[in-house]
Amino acid sequence: MRLKLIAAALPLVALAPVAVQSAGQPSRSPEEIYTTRCAYCHEAGGWGTRALAKRVPAGEAELRNRSSLPPAYTIAVVRRGIGAMPQFTPTELTDAELEALANWLDRGNR
Amino acid sequence: MAVLPPGLTQQAFDQAIAEFRAAIGEEWVFTSDADRASYLDPFDMGDQDDHASAAALAPSGVEDCRKILEIANRHKVPLWPISMGKNLAYGTAAPEMRGSVILDLKRMNRVIEVNEELGTAIVEPGVSFFDFKAELERRGSGLWMSGPAHSWGSVIGNALEHGVGYTPYGQHVETICGMEVLLADGSLVRTGLGALEGTKEWQAFRWPFGPGLDGMFTQSNFGIVTKMGLWLMPEPEGMAGVSIRVPAREDFHALIETLRPLRMTDVINAPYTIANGWRQITGGRVRSEVWDQPGAISRERMEELLAERGQGWWSVIFNLFDSPAALDLRLDKIRRAFAEKLPGATIDVQRWEQGQPQESWMRQEVSLAPLGVVDWGGNPGGHSDFGPIVAPLGDRAEEVYSIIEQRFLEYGKDPWIGMFGISSRALIFVADMFFTRTDAEETERCRRLFRQLCDDMADIGVGLYRTHLRFMDDAAAMHRWGDHALPRLNNRIKAALDPNGILAPGKQGIGSWEDGE
Repeated sequence: MRLKLIAAALPLVALAPVAVQSAGQPSRSPEEIYTTRCAYCHEAGGWGTRALAKRVPAGEAELRNRSSLPPAYTIAVVRRGIGAMPQFTPTELTDAELEALANWLDRGNR
Repeated sequence: MAVLPPGLTQQAFDQAIAEFRAAIGEEWVFTSDADRASYLDPFDMGDQDDHASAAALAPSGVEDCRKILEIANRHKVPLWPISMGKNLAYGTAAPEMRGSVILDLKRMNRVIEVNEELGTAIVEPGVSFFDFKAELERRGSGLWMSGPAHSWGSVIGNALEHGVGYTPYGQHVETICGMEVLLADGSLVRTGLGALEGTKEWQAFRWPFGPGLDGMFTQSNFGIVTKMGLWLMPEPEGMAGVSIRVPAREDFHALIETLRPLRMTDVINAPYTIANGWRQITGGRVRSEVWDQPGAISRERMEELLAERGQGWWSVIFNLFDSPAALDLRLDKIRRAFAEKLPGATIDVQRWEQGQPQESWMRQEVSLAPLGVVDWGGNPGGHSDFGPIVAPLGDRAEEVYSIIEQRFLEYGKDPWIGMFGISSRALIFVADMFFTRTDAEETERCRRLFRQLCDDMADIGVGLYRTHLRFMDDAAAMHRWGDHALPRLNNRIKAALDPNGILAPGKQGIGSWEDGE
């Protein structure tokens, strides 16, 4: 749901530029990347989860419920894409961020 | 095997890459096979390698871009600027010309200004609709973003490519107000009133003293747009979501004639979408579940499937934006118009008022929903679309629709056709081709169908609003009037602004349409 606004409290013009994403910078945690870049499709109800439900064992369609998700596989899929999922470039997440994300997903699924 | 820019030796290219690394930092120059593969088009209608890049560069800002341009001009390295690189169905991040170097502007990702009083913003290329929505919410803004069907793309990129949304601000190119553009020679220009030092009107008015140039930097390769101003809609007091079922194929002419005056008089004050029967039967299933014969799904089978779901041959959806009382008046006019001209139509309405929770029909949430249909025809799926611009006149729309439907059936493709009433006086047809990417026969057949339709449309004076990379030259060449006077003018402008031809060669066929693919 949208945040409700309180008009009187709004700055009319933000003079300082605001970085909305830090694409390519290694400061983002795996949780942050997953939440902002993956969860939309790969949580319950997402189209990625619905597509995977046709291909993987019952109960494993959500990425965070996988019994096995080898990091090397995650890295390959993210960089090359798979099925209807387009790939991600190194400016969307760096190699270091991708490796951390893949390891985090793997650990979470053990 | 290494991919090189046309005309460059490996040695010369290695030298250019070394200079790019020194200019913007080694970590922002991508040359590995894995990194280059991430810029391929996953939905290409053919071999992805036809549009492979030689490398990718990710500048941090305008000064990095200038350094890159200087090196590229000296070494004759072609650059393909992208913003988010999510131009899905039209080429994604891939370059038109194989061997181009991607200029990935994603690191330039600031929302520089949001002006609540004027309802304007200034953004950089790397701001996606996801990012922009989040930033407006973070600021507690009272302004609404107009987003396209999928939110992964860039706010700037979508507007420059003439993308559409579903609010009164849904023709995104018309929300552009002022740009900062870097030309091939490294000079930086601000268009419109941005040319005045100390201006406070850059985003207030599009037309400066002299020609308005914003349009020439959309769908072109004349410069790199490094900042863009745009208009944003204040949150409306209310909305109505209108869904109309129209029963028969033969109702199409009357439907167009009913919608046009409603849109022209702004009773319907946002783009409407018409879907034909084939477009309505896909949701929640794949093609093989409903059709196991060769060729396109027959009209008879499609009509059976429509009947099972209680759908009409045509579906129309649109949202209205106004105060609750004014929405009542708009809805009354719409109901009276349909009662008079299409009494068989069924109209359903949903309502929302400021302060209530938002619902999915309002299309205000970010989304990647269109990706869900990519595998409709087979896995791994791909798609692209044929998008003619058509006057919303019954006879004209029927003429174009009939040609497209017939050609799709002839080529064994389901005529999956939508029409978007993006403005008061234009319909954009979107005739989607879904294919299995690994099926060489099917992708080749789709390419032939696309080019057949280009010929068909050019013969009746209809052009395209956008195309996949593969058909840029075909689409440009359709503009035949005056011995191709307009494409020739584009070529002359290109030659004047970018004599080395380093910026996005092949984009929209500018500089290349005479040669063809």
